[in-house]
Amino acid sequence: MMLQVQAVGKSFGGFKAVNEANLTVEKGELVAVIGPNGAGKTTLFNLITGQLKPDAGRVIFKGEDIAGLPPHQICKKGIARSFQIVNVFSRLTVFENVQVAVLSQQRRSTNLFSPARNLAVNETNNILKSVGLLDKAEATSGSLSHGDQKILEMAMALGSEPKLLILDEPTAGMSPEETLATMELIKRLASTQGLTILFCEHDIELVFSVAQRIMVMHQGRTLIQGKPDEVRSNKEVQDAYLGGGECC
Amino acid sequence: MFKGVISLKSLWWQMAILAVLLILPFTIPTFYVYVLSLIFTTALLAMSLNLVLGYGGLFQFHHGVFYGVGAYTVALMLTKTSLPTWIGFVAGPIVAAVLGLVMGLLCVRLTRIYYGMLQLSLGSLVWAIVFRWYDFTGGDDGIHGIPLPSALSSLNGSYYFALIITAICLIVMYLIVKSPFGGTLQAIRDNPVRCAAVGVNVRRHRLIALVIATFFAGVGGVLFVTVERSVFPDLLFWALSLEVLIMCLLGGWFTFMGPVLGAAIVVLLRTFVGIYTEYWTLILGATLLLLVMFLPQGVMGYFQEKFKRGSKATAGRT
Amino acid sequence: MDFLPDIGLATLGSQFLVGLSRAMILFIVTAGLSLVLGVLKIPNAAHGSLYMIGAFIAYTVATFIGGATGFWLALILAPLVVALVSLIIERGLLRHLYEREHLMLLLFTFALLLVFGDLVKLTWGAEFRSVSPPGIFSGSFLVFGLPFPRYNLFLLIMGVVVGVGLWLLINKTKIGKISRAAAVDREMVSALGINVSWVLAIVFIIGGWLAGLGGALIAPTVNIALGMDHTILIEAFLIVTIGGLGNMWGALLGSLIFGLTHCFGVLLWPQFAIVFPYIAVVIVLIIRPTGLLRPTAW
Repeated sequence: MMLQVQAVGKSFGGFKAVNEANLTVEKGELVAVIGPNGAGKTTLFNLITGQLKPDAGRVIFKGEDIAGLPPHQICKKGIARSFQIVNVFSRLTVFENVQVAVLSQQRRSTNLFSPARNLAVNETNNILKSVGLLDKAEATSGSLSHGDQKILEMAMALGSEPKLLILDEPTAGMSPEETLATMELIKRLASTQGLTILFCEHDIELVFSVAQRIMVMHQGRTLIQGKPDEVRSNKEVQDAYLGGGECC
Repeated sequence: MFKGVISLKSLWWQMAILAVLLILPFTIPTFYVYVLSLIFTTALLAMSLNLVLGYGGLFQFHHGVFYGVGAYTVALMLTKTSLPTWIGFVAGPIVAAVLGLVMGLLCVRLTRIYYGMLQLSLGSLVWAIVFRWYDFTGGDDGIHGIPLPSALSSLNGSYYFALIITAICLIVMYLIVKSPFGGTLQAIRDNPVRCAAVGVNVRRHRLIALVIATFFAGVGGVLFVTVERSVFPDLLFWALSLEVLIMCLLGGWFTFMGPVLGAAIVVLLRTFVGIYTEYWTLILGATLLLLVMFLPQGVMGYFQEKFKRGSKATAGRT
Repeated sequence: MDFLPDIGLATLGSQFLVGLSRAMILFIVTAGLSLVLGVLKIPNAAHGSLYMIGAFIAYTVATFIGGATGFWLALILAPLVVALVSLIIERGLLRHLYEREHLMLLLFTFALLLVFGDLVKLTWGAEFRSVSPPGIFSGSFLVFGLPFPRYNLFLLIMGVVVGVGLWLLINKTKIGKISRAAAVDREMVSALGINVSWVLAIVFIIGGWLAGLGGALIAPTVNIALGMDHTILIEAFLIVTIGGLGNMWGALLGSLIFGLTHCFGVLLWPQFAIVFPYIAVVIVLIIRPTGLLRPTAW
């Protein structure tokens, strides 16, 4: 088992954003987390990747408890993520954005005297090619369309050569065509590069057609994790969605 | 190592400027040589600030302290000890960098304005100690008539020394900015959270940048001593730090050479406006006001943008 | 080196009161800065200039009119004039810049600091000025067997009065409540139909008034000189930071720490007395970088 989240909890003031959340991800799987707005999906991701420290529970990655480690260490252990709100280096070019990640992965971030222009060029270009951004490599990332910036987010995460790729709402704000293309990209990355992918999404239809297993969150708790059919027919899930969110 | 970093075309006119600067002392009055020397040291200080301000995104409010500390270290070593001059010259930047490291360890975990505030208080502490420790540092009077080796004690000597050292430091800073370290630093400036998520130890990176920047500020302080032959507590007072901030802003803090331009403008203004009126601070303040209101990207930034828009080619990296 | 001389309890007590009265002036000035910082989110560097202008105007009024009337008139007029200057700054220049980056606003206020510094030099020249306190405040009376200047007692009283007045203003008046709301969510206040622009202006003016008052109050006790603006500014910035940005009680707490450490520094090691407050600030910021009390949403 690659990732195991056990009874993780996080409160802000009196508000329990995440409460007894459980999740497992096997190597090579494509797992999705769904839930109505405010269910705690992004908070859960933040707890896994280190932006937040859990108040309770354990996060076990490849046999090691990584709960509470700082984000950069978690990345070095093999988890990379993209963010829900676009989080790129807006003043740098697309190429440079991915290059920073690659250089960090190659432990060359503190290299002081070699010209960066010549380093990690092939690796960076390969990643850009695999996500379809190679033709925009010299553009300033701040000037890209929203959809392209989300793809860039993903490309940066790939730059860290992760074992586990976590994508926080990768198609948020995208047009239907872009959404489909992105989902195809995710499927392709999972199959060709053997990546283990964990993602969360609002678009239920998409999730059911792509994910191998789905975890459903509601008000910070895990309702169920299982194959699409199990989830679809589960009564609690139906209540949660009919109660407040989209229907499956 | 240099391949692909410096294009041949820009190298051309940079060499030309250097050549002009080299022969200048023989053609212009000595007062201007002095002013130019001052510009070199101030430019170095401004560039060192921009390393952490423009490229690093740190609110470095009291960078002048490291300049002053570098200067005072040299001054004290040359006047109170009989150690050879070059040891004093080396000690200056090292002491400045050590102080930078100490301050960095305390401040770097803070964000934005808190970083600036703690630095301001630490820097003021240093100023207060130097200001009051009359027996050791000369207090309010400062230290004057610092002995220098004969090669440097002439005006031309200190000019060439300042020119060469500044040029070398600028080249080194350029290499650093263009290196993976520099690129990652800029990424940290733009988005520290994202940087951490791709595995960058943001705190350590900033600390290294700070030590480098304060080292160069210390070098500037050493140059100051060779040009002025004296030091005084004003070098440590935050008004100077404010001036250096203004220089970076004036020149354009998202450009490489911007701070140099800013330093030149401020020093020239101070010198020549100061001849006609004692209200040069008024002019500086008014300039800053206009800058903030109408030209926040600075003089060089403005021209760079115009140039970018003019040529339709894809934007080159800064 | 005059280090750690014989200190009796009486000296301690007397020095404590001196430190307290000094802290009151710091509090008055810093409260103004903190108010502007909390509501407008601007660290106003020109606050130091306003303080200095207050002192110089107090000097002019007191000297021109003379005697006790002159002093009292100065105390009333100086803050008002400074408030007027604040009005002009805010309406004329500042309000067009609210949408800019914080660093830009800060630099803008620094520019004002520079400009005003020279304008004061232009108007009053570079020599020291001084003002004597009016008759009833001259001299001192005995506290703990040691002389305690009467004027310092007046400062203590003023500090309390201003503190209470501010507290009432912020917590019990409508404008105070609106200002506190605007500090948290400016758009929301605007959406309620309140003219936020004028609220910001009023807060800025009150901040300026406080700075002017501080300057006028301190005028009889120091040399009124150029450079006052820089000194008070650094002290006020540091006090506001250790107290908690935008927190009034924090301004009081920070001022007490600053004033008292300085005065005890005078007792312990007079040569380096000014170092003590800075050390205190450093210690506080290392332990609690965001200040001792909660900042108002910075």
